[in-house]
Amino acid sequence: MAKLEGKKLLLLGERDGVPGPAMADVFADSGAEILFSATECFV
Amino acid sequence: MDLENQQRVKDAAEKFGGENVVVVLGSSDSEGAEIYAETVTLGDPTYAGPLAGVPLGLCVYHVLEPEMKAAADPAKWEEQISMMEMVLNVDALAAAVSKMRAENSTYSCN
Repeated sequence: MAKLEGKKLLLLGERDGVPGPAMADVFADSGAEILFSATECFV
Repeated sequence: MDLENQQRVKDAAEKFGGENVVVVLGSSDSEGAEIYAETVTLGDPTYAGPLAGVPLGLCVYHVLEPEMKAAADPAKWEEQISMMEMVLNVDALAAAVSKMRAENSTYSCN
């Protein structure tokens, strides 16, 4: 958990990969502040 | 990376300082992951967005790299990400992003 302690996270997810909200959930207690999470999709 | 997200990344780096920001990618393919990682380190390679010619040098990881898995909540990882971990080519994604990070992230990732 110490890896992200005190950092500001920018989560750039992808619909066909790992979506932003999934990353926001797993890092919620990492000690980092999540500035934003986004999910892009390519069609 | 879409233009709106490029602007958000740029704004965050300017507001909080590049040394305090970590970008985590959830891309499904290594080519896409590499382009995203390039965009937040060297600048937008397509020269279309706000990061064109702006080498932020940010610390960037793919979420499936071991360092990110270690920083995540294990129970939530199992619930939210383990399925995609099985489906995606973790080694290729990690290699693409870690190479870009090693060569072009100017801020320490520790």
